[in-house]
Amino acid sequence: MKRRQFFKAAGGAALLSGSGMGSFLMDLYAFSGQENLSQVEARYYKKHPDREIECELCPRFCKLGDKERGYCGVRENIGGTYYTLVYGKACSANIDPIEKKPLFHYLPGSSALSIATAGCNVNCKFCQNWEISQVRPEQVTNYDFPPQAVVQSAQKNNCPVIAYTYTEPIIFYEYMYDTSVEARKKGIHNVVITGGYINPEPLVELTKVVQAIKVDLKAFSEDFYSSYVRGKLEPVLEAIKIISKSKVWMEIVYLVIPTLNDSPQEIRGVSQWLRKEVGPDIPLHFNQFHPMYLVKNLPSTPVSTLERAYKIAREEGLNYVYIGNVPGHRAESTYCPKCGKVVIDRKGYRIEGIGLSENRCNNCNTPIPGIWS
Amino acid sequence: MALSQVIIVRGKGVLAQDGGVDQKKLLRMYSRGFQLMHDSPNPKESLRHLFRADDRVGIKINTIGGKKISTRSEVSQSLASLLVESGVPDRGIVIWDRTNRELREAGYRLSMNRGTLKVLGTDTNSVGYNFDLVSHLNIGSRFSRIQTDTVTTSISLAILKDHGMAGITAGMKNYFGAIHNPNKYHDANCDPFVAELFDTSPIKEKHRLSILDCLVVQYHRGPAYHARWAKKYETLVFSLDPVAADFVGWQLIEQLRAQDGLPSLEEENREPKYLQTAVKMGLGKASSSEIKIIEEEI
Repeated sequence: MKRRQFFKAAGGAALLSGSGMGSFLMDLYAFSGQENLSQVEARYYKKHPDREIECELCPRFCKLGDKERGYCGVRENIGGTYYTLVYGKACSANIDPIEKKPLFHYLPGSSALSIATAGCNVNCKFCQNWEISQVRPEQVTNYDFPPQAVVQSAQKNNCPVIAYTYTEPIIFYEYMYDTSVEARKKGIHNVVITGGYINPEPLVELTKVVQAIKVDLKAFSEDFYSSYVRGKLEPVLEAIKIISKSKVWMEIVYLVIPTLNDSPQEIRGVSQWLRKEVGPDIPLHFNQFHPMYLVKNLPSTPVSTLERAYKIAREEGLNYVYIGNVPGHRAESTYCPKCGKVVIDRKGYRIEGIGLSENRCNNCNTPIPGIWS
Repeated sequence: MALSQVIIVRGKGVLAQDGGVDQKKLLRMYSRGFQLMHDSPNPKESLRHLFRADDRVGIKINTIGGKKISTRSEVSQSLASLLVESGVPDRGIVIWDRTNRELREAGYRLSMNRGTLKVLGTDTNSVGYNFDLVSHLNIGSRFSRIQTDTVTTSISLAILKDHGMAGITAGMKNYFGAIHNPNKYHDANCDPFVAELFDTSPIKEKHRLSILDCLVVQYHRGPAYHARWAKKYETLVFSLDPVAADFVGWQLIEQLRAQDGLPSLEEENREPKYLQTAVKMGLGKASSSEIKIIEEEI
């Protein structure tokens, strides 16, 4: 089936190849210059005199004059009113297993209709999706995919989950929020894959309409955030604390980059902090880094480094620690912290077996935290 | 140590009451500026020091501010006509910026014909950004194909404005319009990004000349246009040293701010810090003692 046909079948909007970046980039290139932008008033900003505004969505607090855009590249001051240019304008849409997000304690084996717009509010030098995250929306193909169409498409494709992912969904907050509201009406879950660089007020509101958030905690040092993320660590830690106090399910991913954020001290520090601030049951994924974007001078993370991180986190009392991007590794699976039996057996993104009954370990009846059905 | 030279040519009356441009006077301002630059008998000779007949010359303008506060069409067209007179064929000249929409809104008529002078944006079909990412210091960007593939030499013909983040926007920051992700380089007073972007090979190896369009200067609350702080200034600034040109532009803005009783950019903690970074990188000079200013009124 050709992509356009698939798109039609999917509910009138295009499902793009986001993970197969090669083919996606061909599209990006071919359509370069064709504008298809929205002009929907943004939320969370303050108007100042002389047509200036201040964005209050994320900790950057961009102060912008007329015709200027925020750091994210997708929110623009037009005549003193702040607009999102990407409302309902998806540049990427796919159906992914939820394990790819990764969310391991959330509806295992389910499919997530995954969408993104262009843009991001940080600039990670190791970004995997920089071709869509580190661009302005004019530089990608934007498909009309309004909230209702997203929900409709999820229903038609038997996706119980919609994931806001690939780039940084915070920058398409209004689109994500409204889609989540529509989805909830139809019983569809909403999950957010984010760097957590968001201010408390919009985050608290978001936690009222989504059911799960995966936070990419990119390191545990301000220096790293300053040099490699172009952001700050503290607001991310604050966001994690806010989410942990809400009803939203949360998991943490820590991309382990050789020599940059992989020291035993840093791994121990992040593990201790998570245990103290969130609790021992927060799933923590140590993912393997591969050279990408502006960090091409480092090798992929050795599996032994990931295993060391795993060991440290377990020593610090975290019950659910995973190793990611290493298909077939035993630490992809979930183990009962009491009896040690496998309760979810994973191979890559596949679920090979589930040893849970009513959220409890089949072997010893220990409750396993998560949203399982 | 050789001083960097900056030419300031004032042309009282170059702007008419209705905002129109006295083209003859403008050409005389250019001519005088180029003569002074190389102590040449005429502008053609001076331009021949910089551009060869087989060059493809990019004139990078700044049109983000709309009709009121962009590089004026008359200013770029006059420069192009002098280039033609000096021997660069008009088909070898490209006046360009980020988008065709911004060019049109600033009063430019697009021209994409092969055999003539071109006026176009990077978003023109079949142009776009070069696929290769240029990674240099803190810069990671795709460059307009106009800059990487089309032109062999480059003139930064920027409008001089106050800038809320960078302090000023002038000849060096003008090249933010040559990359796909300028929004990523506005924190920390755009420093070190302005200097480091200029230091990338697509810019540094092609840049020949900075000219600041100061016919109207936005000296406060920029980069957007605010009539209250936009001064009819009727001046062009020329320099072969991109840092010195911007330094002098900064001083002009400070003068206008002082005249209006406004605090200096330093007092507002937004002086153009990128200039000192550029000096450290060896891109030019940014102190009064190292710059020779030649100023003339037409």
